[in-house]
Amino acid sequence: MTDERRSRDLRAHQQQWEAHTLARKLAERPERKAAFATQGLGWPVERLYTPLDLEAVGFDYLSDVGFPGEYPYTRGTEANGYRSDLWTMMQVTGFGSGEDWAKRGRYMLDQGLTGLFLEYDLPTTNGYDSDHPLAAGEVGRAGVALDSLADMEALLDLPFEKLQRLTSICNGPQTVNLAMILAALERRGIDPDSFTLQMPNAILVEYTCVGRYIFPPDHGLRVATDALEYSVKNHPNWIPISVVSAQLYAAYANPVQELAFSFAIAKAYLDAALERGFDIDTLAPYFSFITGVDMDFFEAVCKIRAYRKLWARIMREQYGATKPESLQLRLTASPGTMSLTLQQPLNNIARLGIQMLACAAANGGYAMNTPLHDEAHALPTEEAIAVGAAIHQIVAHETGVADTVDPFAGSYYVESLTKRIEQAVWEEMEKVEALGGGLAAIKSGYFQKELARQQVERTRAIGDGDRVLVGVNHSTREEGPRSIPIHRPDPEVERRQIEKLERLRAERDGAEVERSLNALREAARDGGNLVPACLAAAKAYATHGEMCGALRDVFGEYTPDSQTTGV
Amino acid sequence: MARRTRVLLAKLGLDAHTIGVTVIAQALRDAGMEVVYTGLRQTPEMVAATAIQEDVDVVGMSSLSAAHMSHFPRVVELLREQGVEDKLVLGGGVIPEEDAADLLAAGIDRVFTMGTETQEIVACIEDWMAQREAAS
Repeated sequence: MTDERRSRDLRAHQQQWEAHTLARKLAERPERKAAFATQGLGWPVERLYTPLDLEAVGFDYLSDVGFPGEYPYTRGTEANGYRSDLWTMMQVTGFGSGEDWAKRGRYMLDQGLTGLFLEYDLPTTNGYDSDHPLAAGEVGRAGVALDSLADMEALLDLPFEKLQRLTSICNGPQTVNLAMILAALERRGIDPDSFTLQMPNAILVEYTCVGRYIFPPDHGLRVATDALEYSVKNHPNWIPISVVSAQLYAAYANPVQELAFSFAIAKAYLDAALERGFDIDTLAPYFSFITGVDMDFFEAVCKIRAYRKLWARIMREQYGATKPESLQLRLTASPGTMSLTLQQPLNNIARLGIQMLACAAANGGYAMNTPLHDEAHALPTEEAIAVGAAIHQIVAHETGVADTVDPFAGSYYVESLTKRIEQAVWEEMEKVEALGGGLAAIKSGYFQKELARQQVERTRAIGDGDRVLVGVNHSTREEGPRSIPIHRPDPEVERRQIEKLERLRAERDGAEVERSLNALREAARDGGNLVPACLAAAKAYATHGEMCGALRDVFGEYTPDSQTTGV
Repeated sequence: MARRTRVLLAKLGLDAHTIGVTVIAQALRDAGMEVVYTGLRQTPEMVAATAIQEDVDVVGMSSLSAAHMSHFPRVVELLREQGVEDKLVLGGGVIPEEDAADLLAAGIDRVFTMGTETQEIVACIEDWMAQREAAS
C-alpha cells in the first residue's frame, strides 16, 4: 500500500470514529474543558494523536529521531541510555561557613548522592567580602560564605573518592572562584583531575534574569572566556562552561524561549572563545547546559529531546563541527524550584518525583539535580535532603524508566510535539540573530522584557485558576501556621566570618597581597588570561572581595538602565 | 484631577530575584498607579532618599534572601529620622512568619508573604489612600 493510500484510509477511519464512537461518548459526557493546552507554551493539545499528526509536521524517523548515540541524537547521546551508567545524582546546597558546608556535603554523599551543587552566598557571588556594608544580613544565608582561600580549604574537606561531580556556581567572579578552588585543592593535596569540576561560568544568564553580576557584559564575557580557556588547556576532564537555562526557566521562560535564548547565549560564548584561536571541534565538547523541568510531563520530555537535536543541528549546520562529541549535548536536568509551592509543602515530593521521571524518560542528562520539597520555605533540612536522594533512587531503580532508551520515541504525540518545539525554537533563534545575537539581545533588554511578560502572564494564570496548582488554587485546605520543619540559619555565622576575616587580614603578608592585587589589575588591563594572576593572589590570601575589587577598578561595575531591567 | 498614587518598589541588599517585583509593578500599573522602581542593590539609605525625593505615597520593599530583617526596619527608621511618617510601608517576599511579626513591630505596616494575590496588595494600597484622603 502506498503512503498516500494509507493516510487516506486512516483519515477516513478517523472521520468515521469521530462521527460515531466519539460523538456517542460526547453526547453522554461533555469534556472537562472546552480546550486543552500545554502548560508552558499554551499550545493546543488535541484529543488524539495519530500517524496523521506526524505527517502534518513532516516527521521522518531517520532524520528526526534516528538511533541513540548517533546524529541527530534525539534519542540520546549514549547508545544504550542509562543501561550502563545512571545519571550523577545531585542536589544544590549552600549555607553557613566552609566548615558547615563540608559537613552538609558529607551528609549528602552518605545519603547516596554522587554529585554536589555548590551555591555561594550573595556577598560572594556579587564579589564582596563578608564585612561589606551590602553583605549585612546575607552572610552564609542563601549560600556558603567565601572570603579567602582558608574558607575554600575548609569547604573542600570532602571524601573525593565518593564524589563524581562538584558543580561550583559563582558566575560573576568566575576566574577568582576557579583560582580559589585550584589553590585549595593544591593545599589539600587533591589531584584536580580526580573528579569532574563543573563551573557553570554562566554570566550571560545572570544579566538576563538572576542579577548576580559584577562587571559590564563585555568584561563579564571576557572573565568567563578566560576561565573557559584556562580549563580547556589545563583540565580537559572538567566541564568549564554550562548555559544554565534552568535559571531562564525559573524566571518563567517558556520551553521555546528557554532553548532559543540559551542557544543564543551559548553562541556568544562560543564566538568569543573561537576568536582566541580554538577550532570548533576542540571547543564544542566542553559546552554543557543545565535545563529546568516543569510539571507538564510531555512538554518536559519533548523539550529535552528537541534540545539534543537542536544542539547537534546548530553545531553541524552553523559551525561545521564534525566530531561526534561536538554534536552531543551535555545536559544536566533540574526539576524546577518554580513549580514548588509554599502551601501543602509535602505535595512537592510528588511534583519532584514526576519531574524526575520526565527527565529520566527523556534520557534527560548525564546528571540530574533536584531541588527539595521544603525549598519554598527555607534552605533544605537534612530530612528533605534524604527524601530528595530517595526520589532519585526510586526513579532510577523502581520504575523501569531507565531500563530502555528513550521509551517515548515514536509516540505520535511526543514526536509531533518534539518537532513543533524544534521548529519554534529555530524561528525564535532567527529572531534573536536578527537582533544581533545573544549579547546584543541582553544589552538591549530583549530577553529581560520577554521574561517579564511571561512572569506577569504566569502569575495571572495561577491567580485566575487557568493553571491549576493543587493546594494553592485547587483542593486547598486550612493548615496550621507551618506543616513541616524548616532549616533555621545560624545567627552567629556572620559575626564569626567577619572575625575570621579580620584575623586573616592581620596575619597575612600585606605587602605580598598588595603586589598580587596590582598584578591582577595589570593582567586585567593587559587583556591576558586572568586565571594565573588570580591564582597568585588567592595563594597570597588576598580575599575574594579584594580580588573582585581589583577587577572592578579596571572593568567598572554594571548598572542596568531602566530599559534593561524588565520591570 | 487627583494625583495618581505613587509607589516606590525597592530591592534591598544583594538579592536579585525580581519576579515578584516585576509582577507587582505590572499589577499596580494596571490598577492605575504610578510605579517607581529602584533597580537592584539598594541600601536602606538609598531607598529612604528615593522615597522622599520621588514624593511617593507607598514604599514597597521586596526580598527573597535574608536581608529583610536588617534592611526593612532600617528604612522605616531613616524615614522617621527625617520626619517622614505619612507613607504606607510594605514588605514582601520569602519571609518566615516569626520574622513577619518582628517586622510589623519595627514599623512595617503590612507584610505580604509568598503566594499573596496581587489584588490583595492593590486593595491594601487603595484602602490606605482612601483613609488618608478621608482624614485630611
